[in-house]
Amino acid sequence: MQHDLILRIAAKLLIPMIMLYALYVQFHGDYGPGGGFQAGVIFAVSIFLYALVFGLPAAMRVFSPTLVQALAAAGVLLYAGVGVVSMISGGNFLDYGALNPGDRALGEHIGVLLIELGVGITVAAVMIMLFYLFASPIDADDSGGH
Amino acid sequence: MALLVATTLALVACMVMILARALLGPTVYDRVMAVNTFGTTTVMMIAMVGYLMGRPEFLDIAIAYALINFIGTVAVLKFFEVGILGADSSSPSEPSAREKPVE
Repeated sequence: MQHDLILRIAAKLLIPMIMLYALYVQFHGDYGPGGGFQAGVIFAVSIFLYALVFGLPAAMRVFSPTLVQALAAAGVLLYAGVGVVSMISGGNFLDYGALNPGDRALGEHIGVLLIELGVGITVAAVMIMLFYLFASPIDADDSGGH
Repeated sequence: MALLVATTLALVACMVMILARALLGPTVYDRVMAVNTFGTTTVMMIAMVGYLMGRPEFLDIAIAYALINFIGTVAVLKFFEVGILGADSSSPSEPSAREKPVE
């Protein structure tokens, strides 16, 4: 696709906007439609576009498979970590109010924000990983249908 | 309000015609074009329904749809052109992949 000038320019314009929109969906999820899962998918879509237009190796230089695996685990760790911290603070698992005993409403706000961030990171990483697996060329020795 | 309803009905008529083109389309490019246009009308439809139902926050969903609709078309076209979604852009596309019949 090295001659598709219009597609390349459009992709370069769109990719940052999609990433910004993913962050908007992520952090505006409390007040409007959105949340961690949707934001993760939208963020992953910007990487898909990059891989489609500039090739999978270019995308893998930005988000290497090792980094993607680490991020997928880190999101779950953040999610479970918030739950454990609230348990240590005296509440139940994922009882965000216990995070800030002085002002429970603020604690719940912080807790939901962190949980959604963990969900977003994990969903984005897993989606990117799935795309890498689907988009990578099939090995010659992998005896498929043909 | 009547104007909103009339516009929505016009959009529905457009979508029916676009669906007909997507089903009848003799070549795959007709179908891809129809799907892309259908996505664009869907974006407008979401915005119209949002205002009809008094929920302007539907615009957020419409923006997300508009951003992502474009990528589906690019993916389908690249699949038919190259055969591999993640093909490297710097190397010329393999001519053998282009000849390969795509089911």
